[in-house]
Amino acid sequence: MAVLLRRLAGHVARGLVMIVVVTTISFLIIRSVPGDPLAARYQKLVEQGMAPDAAQRAVEALYGFTPKGSLWEQYVGYMSGLAHLDLGQSLSVPGTGVSTVLLSAAKWTVIPVLAGTLLSFLAGVVLGVYAAIKRTGVLGDVLAISGSLLHGVPQYVLALLLGAIFTTLIPILPAGGTADIMIDPGFSAAYIGSLIEHATLPVLTYALAGYGGWILAMKSSVVTVLGDDFILAAELRGMKRSIIFRYVARNAILPLFTILALSLGLLFGGAIFIERIFNYPGLGLTLIDSINNRDYALMGGAFLLITTAVVVANIAADLLYTVIDPRVRSGGEPA
Amino acid sequence: MAPEHSPPGVRIRGLTVVYRTPAGELPAVSGVDLDLPPGTITGVVGESGSGKSTLALSLLNAVQPPGRIAAGSVEIDGLGDVVALGGEALRRARGRHVGYVFQAAQNSLNPLKPVGKQVLDLGRSHGVADLRGLLADARGLLDRMGLDGARVLDSFQHELSGGMRQRVGIMLALVLNARLVVLDEPTTAVDMITQATILRIVREVHAERGLTTLVITHDLGVVAEVADRLAIMYGGRVVEQGPTREVLAGPRHPYTRALLGAIPRLVGDIGEARALPGRPPTLAGIPADGCVFRERCPLRMDVCETGRPPVVVRGSRSAACHAVRDDDGDRPAVTAATGEDQS
Repeated sequence: MAVLLRRLAGHVARGLVMIVVVTTISFLIIRSVPGDPLAARYQKLVEQGMAPDAAQRAVEALYGFTPKGSLWEQYVGYMSGLAHLDLGQSLSVPGTGVSTVLLSAAKWTVIPVLAGTLLSFLAGVVLGVYAAIKRTGVLGDVLAISGSLLHGVPQYVLALLLGAIFTTLIPILPAGGTADIMIDPGFSAAYIGSLIEHATLPVLTYALAGYGGWILAMKSSVVTVLGDDFILAAELRGMKRSIIFRYVARNAILPLFTILALSLGLLFGGAIFIERIFNYPGLGLTLIDSINNRDYALMGGAFLLITTAVVVANIAADLLYTVIDPRVRSGGEPA
Repeated sequence: MAPEHSPPGVRIRGLTVVYRTPAGELPAVSGVDLDLPPGTITGVVGESGSGKSTLALSLLNAVQPPGRIAAGSVEIDGLGDVVALGGEALRRARGRHVGYVFQAAQNSLNPLKPVGKQVLDLGRSHGVADLRGLLADARGLLDRMGLDGARVLDSFQHELSGGMRQRVGIMLALVLNARLVVLDEPTTAVDMITQATILRIVREVHAERGLTTLVITHDLGVVAEVADRLAIMYGGRVVEQGPTREVLAGPRHPYTRALLGAIPRLVGDIGEARALPGRPPTLAGIPADGCVFRERCPLRMDVCETGRPPVVVRGSRSAACHAVRDDDGDRPAVTAATGEDQS
C-alpha cells in the first residue's frame, strides 16, 4: 500500500509539471495564431450592416475588456487564474465561463466516445482471440482482413459512409443533432429514446473505427503468448483447456490496457471530424468554433482539458498495472 | 493406472518424427528404439538438433506442429501406447502419469499467478478432490528440495532464481505422483553449484519416490553424474546405448569416442581435448541413406554412403556403426573388461 501511495504521489507531481509545461506551450501557440477576436467580432457586426462606430462600441461593451499588456503579463495573469481553477471567460459566448462551456459540451463527447471505445475494445479483444486461435483457417483470415480494412479507413470516411447508408439509402436514423427538437428535454422515455437514436451513428463510427486496431493488437498479442514456453508447459502438465485459455487471455490482454487507458485520455479531444459530420455539439465542435472565433480562453481551456485527461489516463494506466501485473507491483523492491 | 508398487517401464519402438518444411517432411527422429527399464535413470545425450528434445516430447505425444509422429510406438506401463492416445485421455496422462520438467532457462510458469495458485490449477485440471492436501504435498516437495516451500508457493515466477524455478518445475512434475519423469536439459543455464544441487535432488527424489527417469542433455558430465543408462543421439538416431559406466569407459561408436575426446581435463594439457571437426547436420542436411555421422567420421568407409548401419547388440549395449561390426573381436572385449574394473 505504501508503495502504491508513493508511486501515486510521484505520478501526480510529474503530471502537474507536465500540465504546466504543455499549458505554457499551448498558450504561446494560441497567442501566435494570426487574427484578433475583437476584430473578428467587429467584422461580423459590420457585415451584418451595423455602422463601424456602433460596431466598435458594441464589441467593447460586449466583452468589457480587451486583451492588453505584454505577452508575459497575459501569461502570468492566465496561469494565476488557472492556479485558482479559473479558466477565464469565453469570448465567443459572452458572459459565460470557459468551464461552463466545456462542461456542457463534454457530455456530448465523453459518453458517446466512451461507449464507442468500450464497444470496440470488447468486440476487438474477443474476436482478436478468436482470430489468433483460428489464424490458419478462413475465418481467422476474414477477421484479420476486416481488422486491417477498418483500421485503414479514416474515421471521417467511415462517418460519411455510415451517414449515407443509414440516413439516405436506408433512412432509419437521424442525420444530426443530439435529440429531436420537438421533444421536450427531460427524463422521459421519448427524450431518452431520441437521445439514443441520435447517438447511434456517432457511437457506431467510434466503435468501427477503433475495432480494427483492437482486433489486430489482440491477435498479435495472443499469437505471441501462445508461443510462450509456459503455455506449452501448462499443456504438458495436462492443464484443462479452459484454464490454459485463461492463462493466454490474461497475459495477452495486458499490453492492450495501456492502449485503452491512453485512448480514453484522448477521448476528450479526438472527435472533431465525427462531431462536425453528425453536427454533435461536443468538445471537438466547441474547439473548432473557438478556433474560428479566435476565442483564446476557450481554446486554452479545451487544450488544458485534453492535456489533463491524457496525463490522468497515463497515471491511471500505470496504477492499473500495479494491480493487474505482479511484475510491476514488486518493481523497485528486492525480489 | 500405474501399479503403486513398481515404477513404469517404457519401450520406444521404431519412433519416427517428421517436421513439415518447405522442402517436404524431414525426419528429426528416425527409427529410434529405446527402452527405459523400470526404476532407472536414462540419459539421452546429443548436440543441438540431434532430435533429443523431440524424442522427449514424444513420450507425452506432444510433438509441436509442424512436427508429427509419423511412425512407431511409445509403450508406457499402465498407459499403453501414448502415440495412440488423444484428446482427454492424453491430457489426463500428462502430468498425472508422466511429469515433464522444462529447461531451467525457460519460463515454465504463468508470470501473473503465484506458484501455489498454479498448483491449484493443476489439481483442478486433474480432478484432485483434496486441494488442501495437494498444496501440502507441493510444500513438502519444495521443503524436501531445500526451499522454503510456504514462501515459494506465495511467490511469482519473477521472484524466483533459476535454481529455484527448476525445483518448482520438478515439484510440478511430481506433485500429482507421476512415476515417469522427463527432464529436458535440467541443468542448462544454471551455475555450477546449482547444477550440482539439482543433479543431487534428481538422484535422491528418483530413489525416494521410485521413479523411472529420462534426462535429456547435451552434457556428458550430467549423464555420468546421474544416469544408469545412456543413449547417444546423432542426426535423429540413437547411435549407441548401454549402461553409463560401460559406454563411457569403452565407447564403441566413433561419435561417442569423439565426444569423450572433446572433454577438457582438469589435469594435463588442455591441448589433449580434441574438438570434433565439422558441424552437426541441420534438419535438411541429414542424409537420407547411409550413416548420418559419416561426414565427420574418421573411420568412414564406402559402405557408410549407402547402407544404414545395423544396430549391433551385445549384452546390454548396442551401437549402430559399420566400423563397430568390423571391430567385433578385440576392442569391445577390452572395453567390457575396463567397464567391470571401474564398477
